[in-house]
Amino acid sequence: MARTYDFLLGGAHNFAVDRELAAHVERVMPDARSAARVSRAFLGRTVQYMVGQGIRQFLDIGSGIPTVANVHEVAQAADPECRVVYVDKDPIAVAHSELMLVDNDRAAIVHADMRDPDSILDHPQTRRLLDFDQPVGLLVLMMLHWLPDEADPWALMARYRDPLAPGSHLAITHVTADNQDERLTEVTDLIKESRSADQLTERPHDQVVALFGDFELVEPGLVGCAAWRPAGRGDIADAAEMNMVIYGGVARKP
Amino acid sequence: MSQPGSRPDPRPDGGRARELLARKWAYLLSGVAVIPLAVEELEHELREQIDALCAAAACDPVDTAAAERVGDHVVGLGYVGEDGLRRTVEVLGKGLPALPGFQRAEQAALVIGALAAGFLVANRRVVFEQQERMQLSLLKAVRDAKWHLKESEARFDSVVTSSASGIMIVGLDGRLVRTNAAVAEILGRTPAELTGATLFDLVHPDTVGMLREAMRAVAEGGQDRVRQSQRLLRKDGDVARISLTASLLRDPDGAPSHFVAVVEDGTELMLLQSELHRQALHDVLTGLPNRQFFGTHLESAVRRADPVHGVTLLHLDLDGFGMVCDSLGWLAGERLLVHVAQQLKSVLAREKAMVARFDGDEFGILVENTATTPNTAALAAAINRALAEPVYVDGHGLAVSASMGVVRGVSRNQEPAELLRAADQALRRARRGRRGQWELFDPGRDTADRSALARAVAMPGAWEQGEFTVRYRPVVRLADGGVAGAEAVLRWDRRDGRLPHERCVALAERTGFILPLGEWLLTIAAGQVRWWQRDASAVPLSVALTAHQATDADLVSRVVRVLDATGLPANRLAVAVPSAAVTAPDVADNLGVLAEMGVRTALRDLALGPDDVAAVRDLGIHSVRVAARLVELQSRADAAYVGALLPALVETGAVIGVDGVVTEEQAAWWREAGAELGTGPLFGPDHSAAGFHARLRR
Ligand SMILES: C[S@@+](CC[C@H](N)C(=O)[O-])C[C@H]1O[C@@H](n2cnc3c(N)ncnc32)[C@H](O)[C@@H]1O
Repeated sequence: MARTYDFLLGGAHNFAVDRELAAHVERVMPDARSAARVSRAFLGRTVQYMVGQGIRQFLDIGSGIPTVANVHEVAQAADPECRVVYVDKDPIAVAHSELMLVDNDRAAIVHADMRDPDSILDHPQTRRLLDFDQPVGLLVLMMLHWLPDEADPWALMARYRDPLAPGSHLAITHVTADNQDERLTEVTDLIKESRSADQLTERPHDQVVALFGDFELVEPGLVGCAAWRPAGRGDIADAAEMNMVIYGGVARKP
Repeated sequence: MSQPGSRPDPRPDGGRARELLARKWAYLLSGVAVIPLAVEELEHELREQIDALCAAAACDPVDTAAAERVGDHVVGLGYVGEDGLRRTVEVLGKGLPALPGFQRAEQAALVIGALAAGFLVANRRVVFEQQERMQLSLLKAVRDAKWHLKESEARFDSVVTSSASGIMIVGLDGRLVRTNAAVAEILGRTPAELTGATLFDLVHPDTVGMLREAMRAVAEGGQDRVRQSQRLLRKDGDVARISLTASLLRDPDGAPSHFVAVVEDGTELMLLQSELHRQALHDVLTGLPNRQFFGTHLESAVRRADPVHGVTLLHLDLDGFGMVCDSLGWLAGERLLVHVAQQLKSVLAREKAMVARFDGDEFGILVENTATTPNTAALAAAINRALAEPVYVDGHGLAVSASMGVVRGVSRNQEPAELLRAADQALRRARRGRRGQWELFDPGRDTADRSALARAVAMPGAWEQGEFTVRYRPVVRLADGGVAGAEAVLRWDRRDGRLPHERCVALAERTGFILPLGEWLLTIAAGQVRWWQRDASAVPLSVALTAHQATDADLVSRVVRVLDATGLPANRLAVAVPSAAVTAPDVADNLGVLAEMGVRTALRDLALGPDDVAAVRDLGIHSVRVAARLVELQSRADAAYVGALLPALVETGAVIGVDGVVTEEQAAWWREAGAELGTGPLFGPDHSAAGFHARLRR
């Protein structure tokens, strides 16, 4: 998934099948590229926002292939002291991240499944890089729609929110069908048919809001991610629906 | 008040105009690209690039290298890609010429073209780097899963089975221990068919050696990993072009135990790239303008064309290019294309011309004619002469010929698209003319065929090395056994043996190399026969042409050139074309013109069908030569059938000859049936020039 996403963004960190799947997706949803781009831009803005709120440590779950404009680059460009722990369950994404981070002692990747919170929160790398007495920026971007309802993403998110210090922030992006015609369903079907083991579960607004738990959503709330504090043309897609197909929001722990 | 002739209002300040352009560029770019810069930062970056472009354009000549660096820089901004390039070209195409300091539109065109070229080169590099890193990641992931440790087998399987790329675990002896579904798919085989196979059996024989070598080096610790473009043999006989990365797995004691190899489909990567190249202006490989650029250029060239001389548009297609790729690999093919591009440019160096690469092995040339531009035939001949010069690729001397479609446009109102279409049609006609010959082009790829291909593509080099000689085959009067003529034939002395004329010709025919080779044969032989005339032991020369030669639009000028150069009288030369080729376009014309010049024309490989008889009559053919296989057939059984067709042929008045005569009986039978001349083993071997001369004087 991370690799198909990278291809849609315009990268070549991918293999033939990933590109095939992307091509299928694009056939159904010709603007899929701009949706990917807009969601990636959201990531950049959120990290910058959080740094602005004083956050210097990040936990990025489902980080994928850290390609262009990734969390540690954005954060460490703002303040070289920033520390980042990436988490992904895909061994290739992990291997890629390890290769990329060899020279960066303030960032690391943990190979784990987010369904097992302890394995992440207690991981030596997490313990080494993150100080849970200080606010943490928790990023769960383009990730939770890969968890079916049976995995209970709401309960899982609670496990991750709990140990965080007050002033911590949580950012979530999540695919939704709220503003969409049947094209998204077609994409979902495509992914189902593909060799990918992951399945897409798009969710309505209230269910996504519930993932933030008792954290308080900052302005403008949970919105189409392009509409979340856009700063420039690159943050918005030309096709209106592509601005709405991914919900994005940031919330703060009181 | 402005007066006529006064200077126009000063343009807005250059700095301000550049700033606005940078802003617009940034705006358009960020709509399609992923660039980790804030808006102002991006604008600032791009403003600097615009300054660089202006400086490049102000140089005389335009500093294209600097503009290429700008393209490179833009790639480095983030994921910019094809759409980003398209927008860049659009915004700068409009914006740059409007900037103060740009006097000529050409400056902008050159600068943007160079930018695009630089962009594509950098982009290609980046794509490769990223792909390379992914392969390494995959390899690392597989190794990290430590498959030989029992407890992590499940983890290993999860990497391998879910992987989109082919992954194989290979024993140190090359045996496949495990492969995933993707490998089976790439090879078009079932996983069951793969178990027990060895990797080396699945690799193309031409390149398996280099893989063995590299894997040995890795096993011995001399090298970390293998990284090669390889060709794998699919079950259906096709070749899968892949990239293969392999490294060593060690057992818990650190001793080498297995290889893990990752296989990525290379054709797909190439497609991905061609997609990226599609919209830009230059072809990255050859550096030539691409079809799109050519189209735009054509438009303006037609509009400004000289009303008398007009423009000439050529559409070229390399003959036998696929074969070069198939036998020597696509890298060799790429190098050949680069060579062709250079040759074409140098042939046209003196003309106002644009040479462009269309797709694959197709090129386009637009010449803006002047009074001194050579005519079309001369131009086409010059091109084929230049292409016939061998170039050495991987130790093989390669040369090509090209089929061409040519159109001359004189009216300024002509639609460029119309011209392109016409040239394309002409090209297709040119190609169709040789269909008979292309049927030889059998894609069956058994080993024998491949080695034949390799031989065929190596011919030009061998020719240059002097491995070919011209021999003379006696043409004998059946009535008294006297020598009535000399047929010039080829012999190729290879290190691994000698190839007789028929084999040489068949091979050269496949690549189109027959055209220069045939002309050479004709030149040598004509000079020789002319020399023999001095002591009156004169016999006419006959040369058998292939289908390719017979349809060659240049045939007449080649013959004229040879006769001029050697002084051989036209009526001492007979050219024989295959009877099956006479219906192809241009063949009848070629024969007609040659006959008018006094050259004797002949049909060879005659099957004695009613069509043959009609062709002999309609084309005013002087002589015919019955195919050797018919001579053999006659002597075995079907004398009645063969005999039945002869009288009609005799009636045409053409001199009848027979080829491949082996026995006295055959000679006698054909003499009875009305044949006058014969060739074949019965009449002795092919001679060297000296040997033949001696026989003449006997
Ligand atoms: C589309 S990528 C998102 C990349 C990045 N977060 C972004 O927004 O640009 C989703 C990633 O989530 C990972 N993922 C999916 N399910 C996961 C799970 N249960 N635990 C950890 N990672 C998971 C996938 O391997 C993939 O790399």
